[in-house]
Amino acid sequence: MTTFQVANIDYIAILPLLIVFGTAVIGVLVEAFVGRERRHTIQATLAVAGLLAAFVAVIVATGHMGLTLGHVDTATDRHLFALSIDGPALFMQGALLLLSVLGVLTMAERLGGTGSDTFTPSGASTPGSQIEAVSARAGLITSEVFPLAMISVGGMMLFPTVNDLIGMFVALEVLSLPLYVLTGLARRRRLLSQEASLKYFLLGAFSSAFFLFGTALLYGYAGSVYFRDLSQAVSAGPISMNGLLVPGAFLVFVGLFFKIGAVPFHAWTPDAYQGAPTPVTGFMAACTKAAAFGAILRLAYTGLDTARWEWTNGLIVVAILTMVVGSVLAVTQTDMKRLLAYSAISHAGFILVGVIAFDQKGISSVLFYTVAYGFSTIAAFAIVGLVRQGGSEATHLSQWAGLGRNHPLVAGTFAFLLLAFAGIPLTSGFVAKYVVFSAAIGTGGATGTGLVIIGIVCSAITVFVYLRIIVLMYFSDAPDDTVAFVTPSAVTTFSIAIGTMVTLALGVLPAALLDLADRSSVFIR
Amino acid sequence: MAYLLLLHLIAAVAAPGLVKVLRTKAFPVLALVPGIAFGWLLFVGADVRAGHGPAEHTMWVPGLGLDLDFRVTTLSWVLGLLVSGVGALVLLYCTWYFDDDDPSLWRFTSVFTAFAGAMLGLVLTDNLLILYVFWELTTVFSYLLIGHNPASSTNRRAAMQSLIVTTVGGLAMLIGVIALGVRHSYSISVLLADPPPLDSITIAGILLLLIGALSKSALVPFHFWLPGAMAAPTPVSAYLHAAAMVKAGVYLVALFAPAYASMPGWQVMTLGLGLFTMLVGGWHAIRQHDIKLLLAYGTVSQLGFMIAIAGLGTKTAALAALALIISHGLFKSTLFLTVGVIDKSTGTRDVRELSGVGRALLPLAIPATLAGLSMAGIVPLAGFVAKESAMDALAKAAEGGGLGPAAYGWVAVVALVAGSVLTVAYTARFLWGAFATKPGVARTAVTMPHPGFIAVPVLLGVGCLLVGVLAPLESEWLMPYAASVPTGETPASLALWHGLTLPLLLSTLAIAVGVGLFAIRDLVGRAQSFVPPLIDGERGYVRALRGLERGAVGTTALTQRGSLPIYLAAILLVFIALPGVTALARGGVQTVRLWDTPAQAVVGVIMLAAAVLVLFTRRRLTSVMLVGATGYGLSMLFILHGAPDLAITQMLVETVALVVMVLTLRRLPTKFTRHPHSPARTWRIGLGVATGVSVAAIALVSAGARRRLPVSADFPAEAYSFGHGQNVVNVTLVDIRAWDTLGEVSVLVAAATGIASLIFVRTRSTRLAPARAQQPPSGTSGRGRWLLGGHTVRKEKRSVIFEVVTRLIFHIMIAVSLYLLFSGHNEPGGGFAGGLVAGLALVVRYLAGGRHELDEAAPFDAGLVVGLGLLVVTLSALAPLAFGGTILESTVLDLALPPWGEVHIVTSVFFDVGVYLIVVGMMLDAVRSLGTGIDRQTEQEQGDEQTRQHEGTTR
Repeated sequence: MTTFQVANIDYIAILPLLIVFGTAVIGVLVEAFVGRERRHTIQATLAVAGLLAAFVAVIVATGHMGLTLGHVDTATDRHLFALSIDGPALFMQGALLLLSVLGVLTMAERLGGTGSDTFTPSGASTPGSQIEAVSARAGLITSEVFPLAMISVGGMMLFPTVNDLIGMFVALEVLSLPLYVLTGLARRRRLLSQEASLKYFLLGAFSSAFFLFGTALLYGYAGSVYFRDLSQAVSAGPISMNGLLVPGAFLVFVGLFFKIGAVPFHAWTPDAYQGAPTPVTGFMAACTKAAAFGAILRLAYTGLDTARWEWTNGLIVVAILTMVVGSVLAVTQTDMKRLLAYSAISHAGFILVGVIAFDQKGISSVLFYTVAYGFSTIAAFAIVGLVRQGGSEATHLSQWAGLGRNHPLVAGTFAFLLLAFAGIPLTSGFVAKYVVFSAAIGTGGATGTGLVIIGIVCSAITVFVYLRIIVLMYFSDAPDDTVAFVTPSAVTTFSIAIGTMVTLALGVLPAALLDLADRSSVFIR
Repeated sequence: MAYLLLLHLIAAVAAPGLVKVLRTKAFPVLALVPGIAFGWLLFVGADVRAGHGPAEHTMWVPGLGLDLDFRVTTLSWVLGLLVSGVGALVLLYCTWYFDDDDPSLWRFTSVFTAFAGAMLGLVLTDNLLILYVFWELTTVFSYLLIGHNPASSTNRRAAMQSLIVTTVGGLAMLIGVIALGVRHSYSISVLLADPPPLDSITIAGILLLLIGALSKSALVPFHFWLPGAMAAPTPVSAYLHAAAMVKAGVYLVALFAPAYASMPGWQVMTLGLGLFTMLVGGWHAIRQHDIKLLLAYGTVSQLGFMIAIAGLGTKTAALAALALIISHGLFKSTLFLTVGVIDKSTGTRDVRELSGVGRALLPLAIPATLAGLSMAGIVPLAGFVAKESAMDALAKAAEGGGLGPAAYGWVAVVALVAGSVLTVAYTARFLWGAFATKPGVARTAVTMPHPGFIAVPVLLGVGCLLVGVLAPLESEWLMPYAASVPTGETPASLALWHGLTLPLLLSTLAIAVGVGLFAIRDLVGRAQSFVPPLIDGERGYVRALRGLERGAVGTTALTQRGSLPIYLAAILLVFIALPGVTALARGGVQTVRLWDTPAQAVVGVIMLAAAVLVLFTRRRLTSVMLVGATGYGLSMLFILHGAPDLAITQMLVETVALVVMVLTLRRLPTKFTRHPHSPARTWRIGLGVATGVSVAAIALVSAGARRRLPVSADFPAEAYSFGHGQNVVNVTLVDIRAWDTLGEVSVLVAAATGIASLIFVRTRSTRLAPARAQQPPSGTSGRGRWLLGGHTVRKEKRSVIFEVVTRLIFHIMIAVSLYLLFSGHNEPGGGFAGGLVAGLALVVRYLAGGRHELDEAAPFDAGLVVGLGLLVVTLSALAPLAFGGTILESTVLDLALPPWGEVHIVTSVFFDVGVYLIVVGMMLDAVRSLGTGIDRQTEQEQGDEQTRQHEGTTR
């Protein structure tokens, strides 16, 4: 019988997490006790304040790096810590917090109404039912989206920070469950939204189950769920046990690949992105991806690094498939949100190329890419959500024809963001692709070079896709004047502006962030 | 040099404002910017010639190797002069080309200035990555310039085409840039001075750079975009063709030729494709009717020529290449600007409509003729000098065997001569078409252009003459580039007269045949129409795009149908393919014991049979039952394995699940819609079997992998000494792992709330409606009331036997549930099992007597029970703290309770009571929502239906 070990907790180091989860809990209380009229403002303010406070805490936490929330088992000299507050973790936390600020601000857009414009007044009501009409008339609002988003952000921050498989699973669920709910809350096209939510949930549940299954197998292999133990077990372990190691590794990766929308686990992405309220889509695309890549990096570089030769080939296949399918399928899309969803898939493929580089450059390139992509994508979806026709979002491509004539500034901004997605120089997208690809060529050998070639071919395909939209916006005639860009309030304008400015800034002066990513690219385990 | 670029940037930003004030008068102001660059380059010319041209180094992104390095070498000096000089003149020319009221002038001026800046940056930078950045910028800006007039769909298509082709080429180049930069250096001067060893990746990198260059310079098979880009305004075409954009490719080839010309593959791509392009371009040019299009094909041809010579990699060729670049820049800009004037003054560019223009616009015709003669390579113009030296270089290379077997070399020479023939022919066609007075064609009406409009072509045309005559002087300035090439002998100076040499003979031959071809142009035209188009890059491009689109549509239809089963199938396939197969292939399986008692086999067979039968049922109810059967089978296996506690729990859970399913099924059609013989079904079955096999394989492998004692080995002893109980499962739940249980019951509460809120939508606390408060329907007697709520059920739905049985067993079930709860610590049972039994008792009441009966049996709100349960659980977890213990610690209380006597209570039973309450509450919630809630909805719908029918009849 071992004695109970008190966990060592560095509260400063985990302060960002505490603040975010704390804000979420306070948000739940606000939901219960504050009157309907003031709830929206209070919730939105609370969420943003919490995120900013947490960001400050992240900066403070940089002085407290190390393992925490656990203890060293002196008998076996094992480091049993649940959290690893290291460079990649804090970098991701900081990035996620800033991205979430923009995401929450776009969610808070009211367009003059009492509650958020894009969320249904009553989530559980059947589309077109009487209850729905009644709740709309009663002025119900779903201000619970803010605590939900906060919980999700908390899970996302936890995701790249955890130091063991169980913690990773918990983080995965904490970040996913609120997203399933948020996906189903779109005010318009309710059926599509609910269907998206259901699909996302069911497939997500499956992939979580796979993750858990894999965790069990890896535990069976290593006798521990801690990444450090896992890595050591692989170097010391007998090959005869590979029957557990290899399937376990694959299954765990399946769970993570699902979150980044890597092919063949991408099927939910277009449906969920299309059905979800547009600000939520932007939030998901930017933040989930960043968090999941943080987790993939940690798993690949600290837990399964020694078993690399067993799963690298699988990863390469997934990366290739993701790039190719994402880019090729984007060609045929006629819906803006679906198109951006496929674009998100192809970007996931590009980032995976960086993961395969297997050195510090690879880590920093992935960190940089997720941040660069995140800012652009939030701004892009924010714009998509504001192009309206007859009160509903005009997401069909044909509705975007001639937008450049009527709204040159908006279309210009969107075109710029598309160029960033395409990776044209002087945008963050170029620098991001460049760092990822050069990391792959630099250390990936012939495989890396091959991947880069495929990546560039896919980039060329996506260039075609994005340019077609630009041509459509500028060089086509608008079918009629009913498609309009709804002028948003200052908060959304702010987040679009910041997203675009960051996209430009990271394209022109990426040195600061690259440097930071470089310095943050050492894992502690 | 960075300041020069900054100046361009500032001018580009300021241009829209300037245009607003000055309209077209803004052009001369903007022309100053490239003018200044031109002046500065002239100023540093002597330094460059002496070999110490200015160089700058500014850090930008040190981590990436992206540094703002600039330097002027002879090559970049020449290109820089061309870019800035022609740029300034073209801008000046625009003053008269555009109208004051052109609405998009602000955009045009800005983009053009930026384009000139990007092009200048491209030739001046010493960093490969910066070069790529400028490369892409010229692509984007040229796109905006070509698509200047978006009204016409031809423009749009042309702009898009040029953009895609050059961007794709550019991306290929990017791979090359990265491959060279990451492994060697991003510095161009380092790559040239100290070429890396030619391993396969380096060679691939250089070849990819070449692909970028070829696509930009419109060589076969990319040649179709350049004629298409003709849709641009004429000044843009002039600049694009003469100095910028397409020259970037030539520049890149000339830049790397000194160090890499001997690399495998290089000659094929430069000389081979170059000469071929020269022929293809010329072939197309001689049959054009639009003089602008004729010039465009002429450019394609000339670009092939330049790349071929620039790629040759000898000293002579290097000198010739520079001469070609200069002469082409001068004559092509002159000719395009001439076309612009003609177009503006006459309104047409068609050779079949133009007549007598030469006489009407004599001041224009003279410089244009000079330029034309230069293009054809006639003494004493710049083109002649350049072509002579080029032929000389090629002939020498062929002689020297630098091109492999001599035959190849001479084939190249013949191709060059053939290309020259075509050049002469299309030049003649151009001059004749633009200026000649044609018999039978009405004289074209000409509006006299502004003198300034003509001044620029005149200036450039005279330049063609001067450069030709002054050739020997120029060579001094160009020689440093030739000297940088390691192979070949030092070339003779450029001159008009080298004596009676082979090149001169070949030239003369080319001119004679070319003029002859022009003379019999009708015949040639007819002959051409019989030759099928050999190389149609455009068709390839269209096909590629269409193929991409078709492929995309096909794949989408296949994979992205929105069908959940298909999505799931994809994930399962991966599951089978990777973990499943690896487990089978790599895992060691211990000896498998099939069964302990034959009874297990029997149960297993039953479970299998049930699972298979599910596939063949068409009724939902049956399939639910069969799935239930597998669950009951599992609990049988638990019993046979000696785990009664698990078995009870499993059985109860199975029953509850069955009831809940059945309640839900009431709202669904009774039968599946199913096509029993569809192929989809077959392969779904296959997938299911494969998944099962994979899971079984993994289970076998993992079961065989155990090498340590299970953690549960110590449980029985510890459960007794610390948890004071013999039922390990129960003690684990309420003591050893009580924290987990606490978390799980919280989740259970949340789930119950979730179910209820989904069904009731707005609020769970529906008013209770006990049976006593209901009026019995008329016509029912008060007799036979076994259940209070019996009378509320419609007669045809009542079952007396069921009511009697319910009456008899309800209390027994409650008693059993309490027994399970309290005895659970040592015997099978526990709070969870007890709660389920109590819940089932409520379900029985509901099934027998309807919702009012349920409210009679449980006259309280489910939420209340659940909340109470959670409260009890929490309090009993915290209680030990009050007695100095730790959270969830349990102790034994032995006390005497009169009716029972000695009572032995472990405190964790209070915790279990909380669990019991939560489970009962959750069951009640499930029945209320799925039973009562759905009942109400059905009744309401029926009511609505009746009202509607009623309304229908009264109307």
